[in-house]
Amino acid sequence: MAKYKKLTLPLILILGIVLVAIFGKAISAKSATNDNRTEVVFWHEMGGPSEQALEKVVDGFNKSQIKYKVVPKYQGSYDEAIQKILQTHNTSTSPAVFQAFDISTAQMLHSGYTTPVQDFIDEDHYDVSKISSVARAFYANDGKQQAMPFNTSQPVLYYNASLLKKYGITPPPVSPSYSDITRVAKELYEKSGHKTKGMTVQVYGWFMEQALANANRQIANNNDGHTGNPTKVNIDNPDTVEFLKWIKENIKADDFIDYGSGASAGANQTAGFLSDKVGIFIQSSASIGQLSKNNKNELGITYFPHPDGKKANGVAIGGAALWISNDKPKNVQRGAFEFIKYTLKPEVQAEWQKATGYLALNKDSQKTSTLKDLYAKNPASKVPGEQLANAKANFANSGILMEGMQLARQLEEVAMETVYNGGDINSALKTADRSINENLTQLNKANGYK
Amino acid sequence: MLKTSTTDVVSEKKAATTQRHGFRLNAKDNYYASIFLGPSLLVLGLFVFYPMLKTLYISLFLTNTLGKTTVYVGLSNYAKLISSPDFISSMGVTLFYVAAVTVLTVGLGLLLANLASQKLPGIGIFRTLYSVTMGVSVSVAAIFWLFIFNPSTGFFALLSNALNLPVVNWLTNPTSAMWAVIITTVWMNLGFTFLILLGAIQSVPNTLYEAADVEGASPRFQFFNITIPMISPTLFFVSTITIIGSFKSFGLIDLITKGGPTNATNMLVYRIYKDAFYSGNYAKSSAEAIILTIIIAFFTLLQFKFLEKKVNY
Repeated sequence: MAKYKKLTLPLILILGIVLVAIFGKAISAKSATNDNRTEVVFWHEMGGPSEQALEKVVDGFNKSQIKYKVVPKYQGSYDEAIQKILQTHNTSTSPAVFQAFDISTAQMLHSGYTTPVQDFIDEDHYDVSKISSVARAFYANDGKQQAMPFNTSQPVLYYNASLLKKYGITPPPVSPSYSDITRVAKELYEKSGHKTKGMTVQVYGWFMEQALANANRQIANNNDGHTGNPTKVNIDNPDTVEFLKWIKENIKADDFIDYGSGASAGANQTAGFLSDKVGIFIQSSASIGQLSKNNKNELGITYFPHPDGKKANGVAIGGAALWISNDKPKNVQRGAFEFIKYTLKPEVQAEWQKATGYLALNKDSQKTSTLKDLYAKNPASKVPGEQLANAKANFANSGILMEGMQLARQLEEVAMETVYNGGDINSALKTADRSINENLTQLNKANGYK
Repeated sequence: MLKTSTTDVVSEKKAATTQRHGFRLNAKDNYYASIFLGPSLLVLGLFVFYPMLKTLYISLFLTNTLGKTTVYVGLSNYAKLISSPDFISSMGVTLFYVAAVTVLTVGLGLLLANLASQKLPGIGIFRTLYSVTMGVSVSVAAIFWLFIFNPSTGFFALLSNALNLPVVNWLTNPTSAMWAVIITTVWMNLGFTFLILLGAIQSVPNTLYEAADVEGASPRFQFFNITIPMISPTLFFVSTITIIGSFKSFGLIDLITKGGPTNATNMLVYRIYKDAFYSGNYAKSSAEAIILTIIIAFFTLLQFKFLEKKVNY
């Protein structure tokens, strides 16, 4: 008897664990079978008003479906989501369809964790010609569509049209040059009696990359990675210098206000713009929704500025695409593609643009009454779409297909901050180049790329 | 009588020890030891020791896009870090931050606790006020201070405007951004430090002060020669906690500056996080994590070796 007594405690423990395992499983299984439809887990990074708009899209899809049910899950910022997606692959928590942002394209492509949407496009004979070709090209490789663009934005220049009118300042032209903006910024600062700062450019690597795209300047070799894996990056070039010189000139004239970097800087900048503390700033077209709401002033929008004496080359698209994970059964992947097709319907894209400012990707969206009403009410909201339509896609403005872009962007931002705080432009850019290239060499070595 | 009983106990113990062959565990002890220690060893092993060893392992390799170890590079990750001006500046920034936060938190905490320990009518209100930040979460504190630091609509900006002073852009200037983070952290920490120190001061026996009063010692003399020595274990505890806590500071930095501007507030912990979960460079961040572990271990040891001797228990 004493022999068995020893075993009581471990037995109780084991029994407890077994019970938890059985019932835990039963409980979770029960919740999954509440609905007979196949669950398609969808990871996204849309916060604030965009999240609400996205939930509406998902709801619309779920109502239209008897076979599939999309379950949206918010995953924080774009940056953080990438590692979550890569590290959960092949586990039960991983998503069936996920949203990954522009600069992670090379990473996702090389991971081998995704099923190219081209497979489903071919299977369904789905007509992609209605979808913006510039946006599609960004997420295609070797003529195969890897992911489907979903939320596509363009960086544009916002200005306070009411303030300019009040002080009798001529607004910037449709496609302004750096000096056009400097003129308006200086006039606004002077005529407002130094109450309103003329302009700001948030410390954000994306804006620097777009300034280079607009100047038709490639940053990485092998045509920004479009014809081969990049091995060298060159931020320290005349076009970057000109962009930073433009900012520096305005800092010296005191009509520039620096809000720093990061999400809080974006929020501070928006607050500053809405409270007449700053007149001009660059931001994604996806901010139109937020900037039109609660704005007592008239919102002015023009194209992203270009260097003086050069023609604007057009900026690359920003935003994110939807990818299908290949670690889920075929029918779940099918459900994911059905959802992607739904998101690209003309009416869905039109509603999406109206709610968020991301551009409607389906050409037929322009014919919907939703967008026609929007343009009639607020003509400026047409500008980002026109900027996109006017750009002719080439290597410089089709994004940089390179791994390690997230770190590169951080280093670009350090360079910008250095200059904003009075540092030398050339040495700041040289430092950035050195660190980016060091990281790139190491990454290529670790990945076994030539 | 008393003496005999003590000897009895000792001899009994001795007998027990000899029976057990000098504290060696017998089979029964082993069994119970494994029952009681097993679960915690399992948990610690799985969630502390295994990740630690794995971190050490990863730090000797390069990791690819998927975060998998590919090329063995030995100590080259460490060598690169130690020779990188970026990383060195990060270390300097961290040490400065830790020192400033610890000195200010403990200093101000001590000052407030000393003030609030006076027996005055209505002192309870101040005790509550001083400790109120204990109930504030990091995110609330960060948002609250971000409003204050906003260069257009923030409290400091409006104050400077009203007084016709130049507006300090707190979060974009490297020096002031560091102070912004320090101020916020100290403000956050103060409530807890204050409460602990107040408890310690109040538990100093009143008779000591009465005796000192009889001797005619000044309040200043009493503070340095009675209060401080008597609460030294608590001071030691509070400063150790603050040092370790500020080395690990993350939430406020993530929410207020994100390590910027120009890496001025890019502390080690934040750098580790960014390198791993933003850039996906697990090898580099593992090496950084190991270095941070060594630094914290070094400071903790130093503290126990030198400071602890001066503590009155």
